[in-house]
Amino acid sequence: MDGILQNGTIPEMIPCTMEQPVLLFPVRHHSPVCSYQLVRTIEVYQPDIILIEGPENANALIPILTDEDTALPAAIYYFYKDTAKLVSDEGEDYHCYYPFLYASPEYNAMVQAKKRGIPAKFIDLPYSAILMHTKGDRGLRTEQEKHSYADDSHLVQSRFYAKLCEKTGLRSFEEFWEKYFEIAGIRKTPEEFLRQMHTYCILTRRETPQAELEADGTLAREQCMASRIQEAMRSYGKILVVTGGFHSAGLYALLQDGDVKPPKLRDFPDNVQNCYPMAYSYTAADALRGYASGMQHPEFYDTLCRALLSGAQPEGIYRAQTLDLLARTAKEAAKKDVPISTADVTAAYSMMEGLAALRGAQECGMYELYDAVTACMIKGERTTATALPLDILGTLATGEGVGRIGDRSHVPPLIADFEAQCEAFRLKSRSAVPQEAELALFQKGRGMEESRFFHRMQFLGTEFAERLKGPDLHAGKDRSRVREVWRYRRTPHVDAVLIDHTTDGVTLAEACRTLAGKALRRERRCETAAKIAVDCFLMGITLPPEDAALMEQILVGDGDFFSIGKGLYYFDMLHSLRRLYDFSDDAAVRCIALCFGKLITLLPTMGDVPPERAQECITIFRVLYGVTGRVLPERQEEFRLALLTLTERAEKEPSVFGAASGLLYAMDGAFRTQAESAMCGYLRGSLPMQKQGALFLKGLFETARDIALTDESFLRMTDALITGMEISDFLEILPSLRLAFSYFTPAEIQQTAASAAALYAASAEDITKKRAVDEELYLFGAQLDREVCGICKEGGRA
Amino acid sequence: MEQNFIKPPVEIRYAHELAALAASDTGKKPENWKLSPKAVRMFILGGSIPTPQGTMNIPRKFYGNDALVERCIITLAGSRGLMLVGEPGTAKTMLSELLSAAICGTSTNTVQGTAGTTEDMIKYSWNYALLLSNGPSREALVPAPLLVGMEKGIFARFEEITRTPAEIQDSLISVMSDKILNIPELGDDGFVFAKPGFNIIGTANTRDKGVNEMSGALKRRFNFETVAPIRDVRLEKEIIVREAQDLAKTGHIDCPVDEDVAELLAVTYHELREGVTAEGTRVDSPAAVMSTAEAVSVYFQTLSHAWYYEDGRIDLHLLTENLLGAVCKENRDDLEKLKSYFHTAVKEKSKREGGIWTEYYKTGQYLK
Repeated sequence: MDGILQNGTIPEMIPCTMEQPVLLFPVRHHSPVCSYQLVRTIEVYQPDIILIEGPENANALIPILTDEDTALPAAIYYFYKDTAKLVSDEGEDYHCYYPFLYASPEYNAMVQAKKRGIPAKFIDLPYSAILMHTKGDRGLRTEQEKHSYADDSHLVQSRFYAKLCEKTGLRSFEEFWEKYFEIAGIRKTPEEFLRQMHTYCILTRRETPQAELEADGTLAREQCMASRIQEAMRSYGKILVVTGGFHSAGLYALLQDGDVKPPKLRDFPDNVQNCYPMAYSYTAADALRGYASGMQHPEFYDTLCRALLSGAQPEGIYRAQTLDLLARTAKEAAKKDVPISTADVTAAYSMMEGLAALRGAQECGMYELYDAVTACMIKGERTTATALPLDILGTLATGEGVGRIGDRSHVPPLIADFEAQCEAFRLKSRSAVPQEAELALFQKGRGMEESRFFHRMQFLGTEFAERLKGPDLHAGKDRSRVREVWRYRRTPHVDAVLIDHTTDGVTLAEACRTLAGKALRRERRCETAAKIAVDCFLMGITLPPEDAALMEQILVGDGDFFSIGKGLYYFDMLHSLRRLYDFSDDAAVRCIALCFGKLITLLPTMGDVPPERAQECITIFRVLYGVTGRVLPERQEEFRLALLTLTERAEKEPSVFGAASGLLYAMDGAFRTQAESAMCGYLRGSLPMQKQGALFLKGLFETARDIALTDESFLRMTDALITGMEISDFLEILPSLRLAFSYFTPAEIQQTAASAAALYAASAEDITKKRAVDEELYLFGAQLDREVCGICKEGGRA
Repeated sequence: MEQNFIKPPVEIRYAHELAALAASDTGKKPENWKLSPKAVRMFILGGSIPTPQGTMNIPRKFYGNDALVERCIITLAGSRGLMLVGEPGTAKTMLSELLSAAICGTSTNTVQGTAGTTEDMIKYSWNYALLLSNGPSREALVPAPLLVGMEKGIFARFEEITRTPAEIQDSLISVMSDKILNIPELGDDGFVFAKPGFNIIGTANTRDKGVNEMSGALKRRFNFETVAPIRDVRLEKEIIVREAQDLAKTGHIDCPVDEDVAELLAVTYHELREGVTAEGTRVDSPAAVMSTAEAVSVYFQTLSHAWYYEDGRIDLHLLTENLLGAVCKENRDDLEKLKSYFHTAVKEKSKREGGIWTEYYKTGQYLK
């Protein structure tokens, strides 16, 4: 780059001397060299105040971030709820992070101000105002999962750097930055470094169209920052301004022009616009993981920066840190059975040094380290499997640590509750590495409480925990399991979501209760309302009376038989599990009664249900029957009458008819005769009717399979059904028949088989042990038999 | 002089560049190296140097991954051998030749690995007439590339190392570890100590049939570099044009290279290799090797045909037929994949871009 910068075409616009009243210090966020040179500059410049780029509504949080007990990475979390539709007509909620690492110049500026007893202030527009000055899909309003306030994209993505990379033969901006700024920069004097930074930033800015700066809010923000600097100039003699390098030229021009008007700002209540300090993680701060404006390998640079600021000599510091990382990589790789010898590490170190010399770098950096590991530790073709050492290096350089906010009084209540519960349950909440917890749900101890905690976190949408094993009450699966296994991991997203829910309650339980109430208010269907009840049950939360009443209103208002039926299933399940889960809530019984009543009213109309929904309908019949046995025995007669009405209808889906007949038989044995006559009706009917007989049997056996076991009448009818059909018709009804007999237990199937064999004067052993006759041979025999019979008839000897 | 060879060795082909680089080279050199690592880098990746006649432009010879070239150079300056692995046609041999020529001044000290390669083809053999007449002596010894490299302090290139049987490959282990070759027949005089500058550059294909796995012990003595196919269509087109021009010049074919056709071919090879078109349509990748070298060969074949039979005019149906020959070699399914590529991707481009793509699409009928 030196060659590029020394061509004499770049005017020196911004003064870099240490005597001027306002010193603009341009930085790249999270850059160790910027932090190092900033601290040196502060020592020389001796400012009276330090002004820092950052939304000014977070000024109160500066002491918390610099608190001795605060451990980085940490972030300021900003949110703004655009209920007044000042940003866009959609009235969306907006949030963003302002992360701080030990290598962040802004953080070091705050620490230095505290050390020197001088004020430090953020000078940018509040978050809401930035959004209002930003056009859609630009700056902090771009469509992305996570927004970072500390955005260096102008520096990183400029067209200017592409030219530089081409000219210097480097692969990327990051490699260029490391070589010419991070490694070369620590050997420069603060003035030299300032000059180099200003030059690069001015050239970058020249490449950016003014319209773009207007659209992404840069100009409005600089207007605000310049006005705050001018305000400070009235009270302080020496002002150090720490901003992203891209803004320096803009600020300098505004300050040179004279008076800058301060922005007109709106006041918003705390629940509309606010900011909180929160723990952050190195993983989230890594540019390689989608945080485009950050530095790659944050923990590596953080460690290096801390060493530099603790007094380590700049000369050789990169060599020492990369060697340390190389050794750690080899050690970790060895743990994962990758055979890396000391000779490999030695060769890699030589490679790093050699590459640095070849590339003209003063010391080897991360790129030389990556190249060395690639060359010396990957044996064979580079594939996903063989590149494990590179993955390990990447993980170590990124870091897995999570920060901590020291001053607990400013921790949002939900995060405080979350952390207290993590501590109570001894969960590792300060690691970014996924952890697992196995809970014994029904034993004495904290298993159930811990499960409820995980369910609450899940319900809030924090993505803190994921259940790997355990009962799944929503799907009705694995209900017999007595243990739950959860995988959990604290990420900045967890804290962000908890902060978002701050207005919902001060404890997790309260926030979940509020959220459940809100969810109910959006619901109209019984099934989804019941699922919310399941969530509450799992979270151990009782809904307040008004929400319980709302739930009942939803049930009453729903007219969908299937939705109510599913709801009844959930409420019945919750009622039956209440003792096991040690959770009593009378609401479930009331809901069961309501659902039951609605279903009984609708049931007679279900006779002609479409075939694809017949099974669902039968399942609901069975739930209703179960409820009359367990919870509402006094209403069994209502159910019986409803079923009778259904069976008396002319149009009936055969399997639903069969299931209703089976239940009626179960309630009153005398109904067997009607069931038999119904089956006879199918048998005597046309071929399509006969085929429906199989479906009738399927429904019948699903609800009352013992009807086939008490005597042989249904067996004989089944036999008549099967033997009376052509083989092609039989094959058509075979799936239904198979299903019909799938409801029997193995012992019952054996008993039925023996009875079927007896009809043909055979024993069960004959069926199970004798060799089956070949089908073709059997058909040939049958045909022979028929023909012999025919001949005999003709001869009058039949 | 160059005109007398079908393919002149790198040190002859680029003799003037190497001489100029050596003359202007002020960088530090490992012992016995002809050029400093920086000059070697410039020879391979291009740049410019001052000469008494003015600035001399050194053209780039290897495209793709500059860092890989730098790693190769540093590896060769150390105690480990360099093993270039990757799919066929990714210019591994070319890189190995360039490195040898720039560093040692010769790229011809080479062993070509095959299933029939024996230890004496690598190390040394005997002049049996002299052996019988005088007994074992240095005069009767016929040095093979490994011994030549050790004695002269230059590189021994071992092409297709994984085609040789594993026990033959392993005969390199002791030489690479101790830098000594013992010739027991010569008694106490039989120890040959490698001179500074000696090293081994191996190349190995990862996709071909008939390769032998390298032992762990041998792998430990090499640094591996995976040479990947070129992912940039624009670059691939440039290589096709440049290589085809060079081949045409060598073959006295005075026919201009059609850049549109080269682009067409580069796009076809790129999309078939990647399995996805520029428009995002998924296509099946053939099992055949879809390397840039293959694309160059297809283009040059078409150019030769045009020169000798068509008055220099490139006919796209010949290109398609040559493409068919290059792609459908081993696997019957590859023909269907090529046809399918024409029916989807080429058709789409024909509709959108027209011109040469429409003409190209029409030649799909020759895919039989």
